Amino acid sequence: MGPNLTFPAGEDPPPPIPEHELLGLIGTGSSGHVWLAKNALGAFRAVKIVRENSFNYGGAFDREWQGVLKFEPISRSHDGLVDILQVGGSKEAGYFYYVMELADDIISGQVVIQGRYLPRTLSRDIERRGRLPIGECVRTGAAIASALSFLHRHDLLHCDVKPSNIIFVNGFPKLADAGLVSEVFKPGARVGTEGFIAPEGSGTPEADVYSLGKVLYEISTGKDRNEYPELPPDLGETAEDRDVVQFNKIVLRSCRANPRQRFRSAEDLLTALVSFQFCQHQLRKAKAWRYSARLLAWCGLVVALVASVLMVWRVVWLLTHGK
Amino acid sequence: MGSEITSLTEDFIPTRYSLLSRLQNWGDEASWKDFFDTYWRLIYSVARRAGLTETEAQEVVQETVISVAKSIHRFRRDPKSGSFKGWLRNLTRWRIADQLRKRTRLPGYEDLTGGGRLPEPDEIPDTPDESAGARWEEEWQANLLQAAIDRVRQQVKEEQFQMFDLQVLREWPVERIAETLGVSAARVYLAKHRVTSMIKKEVRTLQKKWDQI
Repeated sequence: MGPNLTFPAGEDPPPPIPEHELLGLIGTGSSGHVWLAKNALGAFRAVKIVRENSFNYGGAFDREWQGVLKFEPISRSHDGLVDILQVGGSKEAGYFYYVMELADDIISGQVVIQGRYLPRTLSRDIERRGRLPIGECVRTGAAIASALSFLHRHDLLHCDVKPSNIIFVNGFPKLADAGLVSEVFKPGARVGTEGFIAPEGSGTPEADVYSLGKVLYEISTGKDRNEYPELPPDLGETAEDRDVVQFNKIVLRSCRANPRQRFRSAEDLLTALVSFQFCQHQLRKAKAWRYSARLLAWCGLVVALVASVLMVWRVVWLLTHGK
Repeated sequence: MGSEITSLTEDFIPTRYSLLSRLQNWGDEASWKDFFDTYWRLIYSVARRAGLTETEAQEVVQETVISVAKSIHRFRRDPKSGSFKGWLRNLTRWRIADQLRKRTRLPGYEDLTGGGRLPEPDEIPDTPDESAGARWEEEWQANLLQAAIDRVRQQVKEEQFQMFDLQVLREWPVERIAETLGVSAARVYLAKHRVTSMIKKEVRTLQKKWDQI
């Protein structure tokens, strides 16, 4: 399933995007379409075009427009946020667009084969691979927690953290879709995607932490967010499975129904993930060291035994040969 | 988890009926959500068993909920309407029939069906081997239990639900659960007792809320 080279039936053709050639439709959301495009230098980009008439009410168009305007200036200042490279259009024109860096192709990475390109998102990774190794969950979680922490420090909220909004660029996870980015802390609003919205509603940093917790749940268990907090069905007794159970404690603390029992901030969640990685690394190192020490001790014992046997044999030999 | 739920149904479902009232206030968004959360799985499952695709079954869920909203007042006023359970069954079957009729309008339908006749609502195969009523009853009870489990899932502490899930639904030995989760066996037993009681209570509450009108 590659890009669709025609625009959706019944809709106006896409407006011209300065210095970009639109090559095909690669994504459709509730607020607009995402196109594969090539810029004047031949680099591939993603262009999202949002039309006012695609929303049920006018306020949503303004909201998305404001979100992009707030997100754009800081998007290039953090590795965990997708870069917005150009913004255009206006309310008067009835549309706006923004040009973003392009996600890796699901198969060929940064090599884009026109007509076969399919953006790599975290949701596609889960679809293809099931639950992801815990090391990968920690790295992805840390990258997105760091990006959220950065947004929150700039008094912005993402409000729609979910696997399909996490894309990979050069193999690195990034938070995409600035459509609901907001600086208005309006607790209780239910914007976002059902199942990822905190019980108390979105509109606070704690609610963003909750959404990321649900993402970590899905990628570490391979289960749907609505099955939370069930553990993976194939949970066994391997070292990886023990890691799943330990990692699950971070997930549970991110998704507590009571926001006061959650990590207080994305920064705290990031610290927990980094500590987890460090502790697992230290545990593995300690285990490896203990294993090596035991092996060395056994080797020493065997050598000592062999030496003793040889010594006894030598003494006996000397005695029997009368020397 | 479906088979485990079915096997647990008898333990959890007491046989008594009570009044449905909240559905009548359709301006109340919470009532819509409550109704949808409780019954979508039942309607969807019956639609799928009738041979509809995922998309068609989702449409049946939406159309059935809308039908309920439109006619709940009339249903309540008419004493001949029977039970809510039977009324909902009829609405579901009619909406399934609508979907099957829609197929006939699709190009190439004649080729797909070999020119066959469209089944009438009474012929919708919701049970090939048992009586339709018994099958609906089984689905109804299983759905009620699942809805209760979903509600309790939101109410208890996550660790307790995990212990319940591993012990009751996946049948892990208590010792294995205690070792895996790093808790005492007593806590596992306590979690099972607490969650089971809550589910039973929730089933009774759901029945009280929806089952009688």
